[in-house]
Amino acid sequence: MFKQIMKDKYASAALIILVIMYLMVLFADFIAPYSKDFADRNQSYAPPSKVFVIDENGRFSRPYTYNYKREYIPELYQTVYTLDRSQKYYINLFNRGEEYKFLGVFKTSRHLFGVENSGRLYILGTDINGRDVFSRLLFGGRISLTIGFLSLFILFPIGLIYGGISGYFGGVVDMLMMRFAEAVMAIPSFYLLIILAAILPSNMTSTQRFTLIVVILALIGWSGFARVVRGMVLSIKNEEFVLAAKTIGASRLRIILKHILPQTSSYVIIAMTLSVPSYILAESGLSFLGLGIQQPDASWGNMLKEAQEYINILYRPWLLTPGFLIFIAVLSFNLIGDTIRDILDPKGQIRE
Amino acid sequence: MKKALYFIIITGIVILILSFCLHKDTSSYDTEIKCNACDTVEKYPLNKIFPNPKTVTIKGTDYLQSQLPVGEFGGRLITSTIGEGPKTFNPFTAKDATSSQMAGMMYDGLVTSNPVTGEVTPKLADSIKIDGNNYIIKLRHGIKWSDGKPITADDVMFTWKDIVFAGLGNTSVRDSILVDGKLPQIKKLDNYTVVFTVPKPFAPFLRQLTTPIAPKHWFTSIPDWEKSFDRILASTVKPDDIVYSGAFHLKKYVPAQRVIFERNPDYYEINLKNQKLPYLNQVVYLIVGDLNNEILKFEAKEIDTIGLRGSTVARYKAKESQSDYAIYNLGADTGTMFLAINLNNRKNEKNKPYVSPNKQKWFSDINFRTAIDYAIDRESLVTNIAQGLAVPLFTSESLNGIYLNKNIKGHKRDLNIARKYLAKSGFRLKNNILYDKYGNKVEFDLYTNAGNTERESIGVMIKQDLADLGITVNFKPIEFNTLVNKLTNSYDWDMSIMGLTGSPLEPHNGKNVWASNGTLHLFNQRPVGYQIDDRLVWEKELDNIFEQGALKLNFADRKKYYDRYQEIVYNQRPIVYLYSPTRIVAIRRKFKNVYPTTLSGILYNIEEIWIEK
Repeated sequence: MFKQIMKDKYASAALIILVIMYLMVLFADFIAPYSKDFADRNQSYAPPSKVFVIDENGRFSRPYTYNYKREYIPELYQTVYTLDRSQKYYINLFNRGEEYKFLGVFKTSRHLFGVENSGRLYILGTDINGRDVFSRLLFGGRISLTIGFLSLFILFPIGLIYGGISGYFGGVVDMLMMRFAEAVMAIPSFYLLIILAAILPSNMTSTQRFTLIVVILALIGWSGFARVVRGMVLSIKNEEFVLAAKTIGASRLRIILKHILPQTSSYVIIAMTLSVPSYILAESGLSFLGLGIQQPDASWGNMLKEAQEYINILYRPWLLTPGFLIFIAVLSFNLIGDTIRDILDPKGQIRE
Repeated sequence: MKKALYFIIITGIVILILSFCLHKDTSSYDTEIKCNACDTVEKYPLNKIFPNPKTVTIKGTDYLQSQLPVGEFGGRLITSTIGEGPKTFNPFTAKDATSSQMAGMMYDGLVTSNPVTGEVTPKLADSIKIDGNNYIIKLRHGIKWSDGKPITADDVMFTWKDIVFAGLGNTSVRDSILVDGKLPQIKKLDNYTVVFTVPKPFAPFLRQLTTPIAPKHWFTSIPDWEKSFDRILASTVKPDDIVYSGAFHLKKYVPAQRVIFERNPDYYEINLKNQKLPYLNQVVYLIVGDLNNEILKFEAKEIDTIGLRGSTVARYKAKESQSDYAIYNLGADTGTMFLAINLNNRKNEKNKPYVSPNKQKWFSDINFRTAIDYAIDRESLVTNIAQGLAVPLFTSESLNGIYLNKNIKGHKRDLNIARKYLAKSGFRLKNNILYDKYGNKVEFDLYTNAGNTERESIGVMIKQDLADLGITVNFKPIEFNTLVNKLTNSYDWDMSIMGLTGSPLEPHNGKNVWASNGTLHLFNQRPVGYQIDDRLVWEKELDNIFEQGALKLNFADRKKYYDRYQEIVYNQRPIVYLYSPTRIVAIRRKFKNVYPTTLSGILYNIEEIWIEK
């Protein structure tokens, strides 16, 4: 299957992008020049650092940058950043910066790139508290990109088993189980979330809290999936190999788990890839509304919230980068999902 | 062939990317600070001071005469109100600011506040004489309701006795003039004279006379008016039926869109040429959803005046010289941003302390609170979060308030002083972590309401500020209603970032925060009906100040009390004040006779504003 995905131009590009994204997020401590809480309060809303490779005499040089000097002009109510040309800061590979635990194991203070301690390198500028947007994007991605998988691990087992049992037994069991699934489906998730935000104990950290919200979302989200699985099971259970299994006296649970459900795997894989992006979007939406990950933790949604004010879109476009990443990640997942569907389910493909 | 094509495309892209990345270090990257308009900036206080209108008598009618330059009649002013729009036009049942403002357009009070000094000046009344506990009010002769009936002492009696004292509608005025549970007496001397007698000298009473006066004959002509009081002047009222006294009256209300007010042709204020004001034909309030929406409407020239915030101000200021509006900086506003500390040392019904005993010890320690105060970097809060549009704040009275204690100068951030105070109480640093003298790690929660970017950013900064002292702060933005419940009901919070709007004219209004039984006594809230006297020494003194301060009538006498109260708050720091935002307003230049003041804003003299054609 992997080879087939790589044959498709779009899907292979999407896969490469996603792999790069996940690797960057995994090694965020190392790649990011700063930690997610590092803040220089004299650099609030500083624009991206200017990196020069040709010096003022017109010669090539190692890449270097200048710090920004902040000035406030009271007459214009304006904060202006100017280059402080008094000192050049060369960009070093494997720069010594803040100490961290590489992959949570060994202590080091080497970062992939950076400048001397008194210098500041902001590839994508800073936010209102003077924190590096690039570094926070990487740390925020840890939450935004993994939250989708968390819900998958809850949603799919429940959906599969519920749908399988309901479809296989049929009759009254099926009727009761499906009515229950419909009742679950009818719970308005958005209002539920607003209520949850109000009643969840406030001494939870925002990550715990958000994990709980995603778990709850998954607990009401399985029903749609279960209904499709049940439909598939209804047709599969009359196949000959199921009859064969019955005649050799296999238990019902064994038939469902070993013989019927594996037949639905193609649908499951497709549904899984296509539902990851919806959880990425859900996270950003919730954080944007202030229900998800809270400051000072970072996630793409709550970073994007800062760009909500239209004046920030006009003057600080770098605050929009998390939105761009959400877009890329969701698009990539969808492209891969589509290609997997084409591969696993060639009959479903629309041919012209 | 195909490979060659790929090669060309890829090198093209690489060159393109490189040309974006490879910067030459030239001076073109230096931002030049342009300040064309800098020398024309008008600073507050403006060089023109608003002259108060005077009373003149012409043919037996006591008119109010505007002292501002004479203008031209006609035109309209469009402004905006954020939210849902007015819920009622009845000044006595209005509970929200928008409704009160709209009702205030149609009904004048006996007195009003001078927009510059804040003093009480006559409006519907001709004069006020204070004689001990008696307030003798003389009404204007010859002024009329919109239906031609004269405005007399009967209307004043009706308003105060039958509406306010009887407790109809919103009882906040009635509650605020109760002295020892007693209401003032009111007596009619003749058709144009009324006397109020308060049981005890009570300073806040005078300003309550700004309460609008209702037309007795119209209110009582409504069948069963007392029982259906809420329905009088409800938002569904027919505009043509309304009998009013104000400069403008309701013409049309389209819910969720706009409220249109039209000029009163027979208003009792005249200009220097003795022509009847107001100049404007119409005043329109557009109902807008939020701040962004309001700004876009101002940009599209749909509204004429707007209050500006944050970095929008810089944008508008830069465009001001080529535009048709002027920006006024009115200085610090009445809003305050603060950090409240929970001093609650009581236990709940289950005999569990609201705040854990360790934390209680820290929070009740004045040295600890002072250290927190000294560790907070207000200057950075102002430059970063308020974008320079705020003033560091150290007192509980708003900075434009007339009772502000100017001796409280505040201080800069000083970690050494903060550490000294901590050391005094036996706090020690170990590995950059602060421990109290019993060896407990200093760690607590800091709350604010989620979704408010300003407060969330403040929280992030305070967390860093206190980390410099070795204190671990768990910053937790939570949902607004949950936070309110914590503050007023369950009391299980440590510190919290909040904002309140003060009253610049009457410090007595702060009683609900500072009196020990106040409903907003956040930092040491007692449950309703709490009987035990466990007031702190300075809480007792504050209680006493608010009691005594209201009994003195003279400004200088009162000021002594309220200066002392601000001093106590500053020294005890149960609430650490952070900053007060600056009020910046923009109005189109075609409007003349605009005299913005820090106390009253920009539209307080709406009847005198006119449009230059």
